[in-house]
Amino acid sequence: MQNTAGPAGAAGPKGARRQGLTWGIAAAAALLCGLCYWLHLRSLEDSLVRQWPAELAHDARMMGFAASLARPVYARHCAPCHGANLHGDHETGAPDLTDTVWLYGDGSIGDIENTILYGVRSGHPKAHNVTDMPAEGRLHQLSAAEVDDVVEFVLALSRQPHAQDAAERGRKLFYDKGNCFDCHASDAMGNTDYGAPPLLGPNWNYGGDRPTLRKSIYSGRHGLCPAWISVLTPPQIRALAVYLYVESGKTVPKGPS
Amino acid sequence: VTPVQSSGDFFDLSKSHVRRSMVLLALGALLGLAIAGYGLFTAKGTRSQSVPPEDLALVNNRPILRSDFMTQVQTEFATPFAESLPEQRAKVLKDMVAEELQVQRGLEIDLPSFDPDVRNALVAGVQLEVTADVMAQQPTDQELRAYYEAHKDRYVGEGVLRLRDLVVKSGADAAATAEQAMANAQQAVTALRAGMTVEQAVQRYRLEDSGALMAAGRVDTGEIFEFAARAKLARELYAAAATLQGGQVSEPIRQNDGAHVVVMIEHRMPVREDYAAAADQVWTDYKNEAQARVREANVRYLRSRADILLSPAARELEERAQ
Repeated sequence: MQNTAGPAGAAGPKGARRQGLTWGIAAAAALLCGLCYWLHLRSLEDSLVRQWPAELAHDARMMGFAASLARPVYARHCAPCHGANLHGDHETGAPDLTDTVWLYGDGSIGDIENTILYGVRSGHPKAHNVTDMPAEGRLHQLSAAEVDDVVEFVLALSRQPHAQDAAERGRKLFYDKGNCFDCHASDAMGNTDYGAPPLLGPNWNYGGDRPTLRKSIYSGRHGLCPAWISVLTPPQIRALAVYLYVESGKTVPKGPS
Repeated sequence: VTPVQSSGDFFDLSKSHVRRSMVLLALGALLGLAIAGYGLFTAKGTRSQSVPPEDLALVNNRPILRSDFMTQVQTEFATPFAESLPEQRAKVLKDMVAEELQVQRGLEIDLPSFDPDVRNALVAGVQLEVTADVMAQQPTDQELRAYYEAHKDRYVGEGVLRLRDLVVKSGADAAATAEQAMANAQQAVTALRAGMTVEQAVQRYRLEDSGALMAAGRVDTGEIFEFAARAKLARELYAAAATLQGGQVSEPIRQNDGAHVVVMIEHRMPVREDYAAAADQVWTDYKNEAQARVREANVRYLRSRADILLSPAARELEERAQ
């Protein structure tokens, strides 16, 4: 019988065995690596959610991990309103998330997380929904001329060009007939229990120019943020809170890695 | 004939190998089981013996979220969570567990089926949820104007009246019969229209105030809104008053207590409000109507998926309602 294997025939089965073994080991190693990586991610996610925010703020490694987890989530769910650069949108009143001004809470990770979970006027029973900006003009709390006076006063507060006499009248209305101080506080620094923003500028939800302020006071505002509790996973929500905490000017504290 | 397969061929991918196939099959099955098991025990709503990382505790498998716990600590002690004491946290946790247990007990004994407060709270909660979007939406000025145009008849300001409702009494307790009273009232009307003062007519024709318009025990001749007059006067009397201008006197109107004469002192007729004047009410009506629509749609949807059995009597009522 003719030997068709030739010289390669002797090495063929051995080589094929070696090749198979190599593929098997590579596949098993890849699977193992994938499993380890997945377990590692899971462990990081668990750790991210399990840690109290105050502890988390001192864990630079976790803060970094949270940011990497949050960026795609932000891009998909938050950017349509707050903008890809987090600077908000005056048209919809979505606030700038990079400044240090927070409508609700003090900007801690826990407070941000709470807002993301339940939203603002979202319909969720735990949402922030104490009050909203009343339509002072439309509801006849203030006349159109009085609204203009209050606008001048707010312009004065925020150190913008204003009419002095009107601003003085507006100041009285602010503390008296308009009841503005009730929510925005006597020093116009706002009140995070009510979601009332400070009026000192330069950060504005809807804009601090004369026509926009007039519209805000005359017709009121009623901002909305959805409740994300049933859309995002707990690690995603915590990661977003950490990400926004960092982006809002709170630098990542140096701490044990 | 089954070919003899050596163990050395196990890794030779160029040859089929029964044992290798079985091993790969087993590995695949194990991997599938592992994935299925993971999905089963970590899916939302599925709880195992371990507490998920986002929860602080599980009470009969109902989670107490860490986030809710932190908020509760801050709210209860008015202090940032990071600065709260372990004792404060322990108290809040204890209270939250107690609350969860009592809520579960309430459901266990089916509290919503008989406690009106719980039922009202549930209804209010559901309505709030379904109308959240509507409440959040701000209608544009164009929408409000269109609504105003479509419902103009609603935005009519109340008219204001000043009138006297005088009566010539008749019947068992009075000197005059009904016919005499009507005749007397007719003479009074003629005299009043001729320019006699009300006080003179009251004395000469034995007229007296009916008592329908009284304030603090005295006859009220001050301004009164249309709706108040409608509520206080008999239907025929108000109908007559509504058409009178200031200074006019009605025809005698027969009532059970005698013949009435309405003397209109002043009548500012209802005025249709323009959009600017009615804007506040338009906004309120627009929002209320939108919420009502959503609530009704929600109930329709719930009915469509509910199994409601009606007795014949109830069916009859349902048909009548439709």
